Amino acid sequence: MAMGAVGLAPLFATHATEDEALAAMKALMGTVAPRAGKVTLELPPLVENGNLVAIKVSVDSPMTAADHVKAIHLIAEGNPQPNIVSFFLGVRAGRADIGTRIRLANSQRVWAIAQMSDGTFWSGHADTLVTLAACTEVI
Amino acid sequence: MSKTSRTLVTMPKVAAKGEVVAIRVIVQHDMESGFRHTQQGERIPRDIIREFVCTYNGQEVFRADLHPGVGANPVINFFTVATETGSLEFKWVGDNGYTSSVTSQLTVS
Amino acid sequence: MHNLARFSWLWSTALFAICAWADPVGSARQSSYALMSPENRAMQDDPSQNPATFWVLDGESLWQTASGKRQIACATCHGTEATSMKGVAASFPKFVGSALLNLSDQINVCRQTRQEGEPYAPESKPLLALTSYIGQQSKGLPIAIERTPVNALALEAGRTLFYERLGQLNLSCAQCHAERSGQKLGGNPIPQGHPTAYPLYRLEWQSVGSLQRRLRNCMTGVRAEPFALGSKELVELELFLMWRARGMLMETPGVRP
Repeated sequence: MAMGAVGLAPLFATHATEDEALAAMKALMGTVAPRAGKVTLELPPLVENGNLVAIKVSVDSPMTAADHVKAIHLIAEGNPQPNIVSFFLGVRAGRADIGTRIRLANSQRVWAIAQMSDGTFWSGHADTLVTLAACTEVI
Repeated sequence: MSKTSRTLVTMPKVAAKGEVVAIRVIVQHDMESGFRHTQQGERIPRDIIREFVCTYNGQEVFRADLHPGVGANPVINFFTVATETGSLEFKWVGDNGYTSSVTSQLTVS
Repeated sequence: MHNLARFSWLWSTALFAICAWADPVGSARQSSYALMSPENRAMQDDPSQNPATFWVLDGESLWQTASGKRQIACATCHGTEATSMKGVAASFPKFVGSALLNLSDQINVCRQTRQEGEPYAPESKPLLALTSYIGQQSKGLPIAIERTPVNALALEAGRTLFYERLGQLNLSCAQCHAERSGQKLGGNPIPQGHPTAYPLYRLEWQSVGSLQRRLRNCMTGVRAEPFALGSKELVELELFLMWRARGMLMETPGVRP
């Protein structure tokens, strides 16, 4: 299986590994370590088709001038590219609650990193099983 | 992908001052990831929407940076505070000169 | 021998019952909508989230657009209201003259004879847009295909295809979708295969596609050479499938994984 993967590697995009996902997160956060909490990431536990997966992320925040969410980043451990989407909010958002639809190439863990106005980072994650992968089909 | 495409905005027309209103936007776009290949092994080039911006009476209130991992015909559900009567402009910008924009009016009492 | 003949009505009834039991009928029929996740069902139900809405809107534009050598629009003859085609999609495929046509074929007939324009290619964006727009006007209506003296032969041809083993895997449609619907194949439940939601946005295609496209995918799945788009076999199979689903409600434009 591994040999086959090496042989086919030039043809097919390699998948992000946990390390690449961590590197992507580090690039966003610099030297600050994220804290677990405040962030709720909702993904269906079982995905019929990875091409369009509904995802919802909400951050527990009063969204006031003194205390609000500046950005939310979604990172996938198992996609060819770990960064999926970044949302930039602010006080005008009223609520740090975003929904979108993403592609998932594999059963994997997806991370949401919230960047707060006080410079702290908070993280949440969700795991999902994908029965039909996205991203790398041959058409 | 053509230079522009259809968009749909779902949001209330009227809101109370200070009310947090829910907005849904969806845009017609294949979001070609750049990771797909033809049967002959040729990579299909990336062609995606890269950025979505919502401005409220000219002020940016929400922005998203999109990567190939966003699904085709992207939907974004988000919120904004109804501060004053005016227009919300929604703009999408992408690869190969793609751009779409639409405006919605909000009356704030 | 005499006793066998006496009870031949019993044996033939039993045989019929066994065959009929294999394919869910009446209220035992179920749309594959019921097998989808809540998220995908929500995507179908809400036009503001359903990607197929864009095809419907494109169809609406095309409906109003003058076209062909005669420069007339569909709306010129059929009216501008978005309800003028109510019930139409639920009645296709049907015989128009001596030809069995599905809705796409009928649109192309109109294009060529009334608008004097080029027919749209199968699975082309304009054709999918128009069939989505017209199909959506039958949403919620029961499929209205009945067996008639006119379509009986074609219907039988379609039924034969449904029960015929195909491909290297030597499987018939019926073996999965009639006999084993509800059981799992590769982790996913096997649907009964009713075409209530076509044309639909299939997540696998990342686009709207027709029933014929889906049937060709099935044939590839059993390692059979798929019938060509627009072939006699596919339209006969469409007729049989729509008849098999008669009375079930249309969902067009649907969403499926």
